Amino acid sequence: MSANTSIKQLPLSMWLRQGATFDSYVSAANQQLLDNIRNVAALGEEHFIFIWGAEGVGKTHLLQAACHAATNAGNSSVYLPMQEAAQFAPEMLEDLEQMTLVTIDNIDAVAGDQAWETALFNLYNRVRDNGECRLIVSAHQPLASLGLRLPDLLSRLSWGLVYQVQAMTDEEKLQALKQGADSRGFELPDEVANYLLRHYQRQTAALFDLLERLDQRSLAEQRRLTIPFVKQVIETDFRSSKE
Amino acid sequence: MSLWQQCLEQLENQLNAQQFNTWIRPLQAVEEDESLRLLAPNRFVLDWVNERFIDNIRNIVTQIGTGDQHQVVLEIGSRERKTQEPAVRVAKVANNTAKQEDKRRANFRRREDQSQIHYVSNIRDEFTFSSFVEGKSNQIAKAASVQIGENPGVAYNPLFIYGGVGLGKTHLMHAVGNLMLEKKQESRVIYVHSERFVADMVKALQHNAIDDFKRYYRSVDALLIDDIQFFAGKERSQEELFHTFNTLIEGQRQIIISCDRYPKEIDGLEERLKSRFGWGLTVAIEPPELETRVAILMSKAQQMNVELPHEVAFFMAKRIRSNVRELEGALRRVIANSRFMARPITLDFAKDALRDLLAAQDKLVTIENIQKTVAEYFKIRVADLLSKKRSRSVARPRQLAMALAKELTNHSLPEIGDVFGGRDHTTVLHGCKKIRELRDSDVRVNEDYQNLLRILTT
Repeated sequence: MSANTSIKQLPLSMWLRQGATFDSYVSAANQQLLDNIRNVAALGEEHFIFIWGAEGVGKTHLLQAACHAATNAGNSSVYLPMQEAAQFAPEMLEDLEQMTLVTIDNIDAVAGDQAWETALFNLYNRVRDNGECRLIVSAHQPLASLGLRLPDLLSRLSWGLVYQVQAMTDEEKLQALKQGADSRGFELPDEVANYLLRHYQRQTAALFDLLERLDQRSLAEQRRLTIPFVKQVIETDFRSSKE
Repeated sequence: MSLWQQCLEQLENQLNAQQFNTWIRPLQAVEEDESLRLLAPNRFVLDWVNERFIDNIRNIVTQIGTGDQHQVVLEIGSRERKTQEPAVRVAKVANNTAKQEDKRRANFRRREDQSQIHYVSNIRDEFTFSSFVEGKSNQIAKAASVQIGENPGVAYNPLFIYGGVGLGKTHLMHAVGNLMLEKKQESRVIYVHSERFVADMVKALQHNAIDDFKRYYRSVDALLIDDIQFFAGKERSQEELFHTFNTLIEGQRQIIISCDRYPKEIDGLEERLKSRFGWGLTVAIEPPELETRVAILMSKAQQMNVELPHEVAFFMAKRIRSNVRELEGALRRVIANSRFMARPITLDFAKDALRDLLAAQDKLVTIENIQKTVAEYFKIRVADLLSKKRSRSVARPRQLAMALAKELTNHSLPEIGDVFGGRDHTTVLHGCKKIRELRDSDVRVNEDYQNLLRILTT
């Protein structure tokens, strides 16, 4: 595992990094959804939420923020990214209903896979029987377009609250980027933030990844965040991604 | 701050967010004088953490340990975990009112003294006959279920209920169970989902407790097994089910089975089981028709103490036709919106609240999709549907597809004719009329139509 080696290479700021939280989630259009996810994470009335939306609208952030909130409240939680399912096995779902909150990201990644679908169906039933566990599931597509082969799983996912996650407006992205920079302990000037929005991928997740790298590189190279510096980072990224 | 909390902070910074949330967050810590016990929810997580993260965790604990040498122990478990029987999982009977729970606990305890077996009924209180909305689509199944609840083991044994997902099979089973318990408190009525039966049997085999497992299921007064199709291809479990079935029927103990299809149509199930399933009464539950869907919404809203105007229920029932779960999900959504915005539920409000849900549905139902689905259903080619062929095997599916296109999309008759190989709008009109007539006179055509409607709108 590279965890140990990579730690040495990371600049100091990594130690100050904040994980995804509800407070760092900015979006006017998703207030109600956010409110409901907060409630589920705080063991409110609803037990199941299914959220869907395009790549990069912040689903992963919401799920991890829910886990974070659960931990803070002294409850157990787990985050399962199904896009990594090839590395895992359906057995990892066993007994997870003993957790207080289970979040499943990108369920579409295992749609059509019989073993995973059955395991998820069983998990759903156990969570429901248990009565105290909460389940949040995310996908890129609405339920009917997921390509699930098990109608039993499909109908169960449609049983709880279903929300589409709306994409952020440019204004919100700008605000989120500046807030993200602030929580990492550096300032993102308006013109640089605007430059990022205009010249980089527009998906929030990609923008935040870039923000993370900008933070590391500016610390490592002792540079201020200027447009030429940002350009340079983006170009190096681009070159290394092609190699 | 506790040792584990400090440790978590460091780990959160060292690992990427996904690793942290997936593998570290689910660990529950028990801090003792000389050790830090970390509980993983299952073997898989335990192995993963052991392989990849445990050294890192130990290093951090040593670094922040205040002079004390903490031993880090990783094991499977949960702080909140209930004890588990090797053969039969003892789960909490969820959502019971305190009184009923006490009643059942006493009941189980008494049994336990007698036979050393913990019976867990798993019957859910909220699924009763009074909360079951009756309609044309389910009245026979309900009538049979009530009779069985009144006279278990005598009236019809087994009762085999079949129908699509989310139509109320599970609700009926629990309702029978509740009625049996109401009539005779000490009845050992056990509801179990087929997957749970299979999984528990595998566990029993692993733990050398298969005799306990057998004794448990063969000594109940009523066994309600849900979604029997999940036994398909599992020979060892079928064998066990077969013997359990025989023992219970011989002892005049009630069996209720649910399935998503007719017994004879379950692939991968032994013939001797299929034939036994037909010994008693086999009843179907159909998708609820419009009035029943409205009634279901009204009843559900009442249970949730929400005032739902009739026109809103009508609108929702018209738009959501696949199954009851989806109806309930939509109702939850409307209620959540109304609470969040502190506004009463009106027709416009509901339309707005369900916009994303309905848009997702509309997007899916295109004429092309209908053609593809119908062709697949009848095992013909889409090209045949569009061709000039007029043989019955092609013409009937074509008419069905046209009727569905008229029903499910907003396209006009000429537009539909156009995409069906450039046909005239009167041909489409004729097709729709023909299907309407046939649905009344030919059960099979009606069934095909309903099935396709469900596939397309689920």
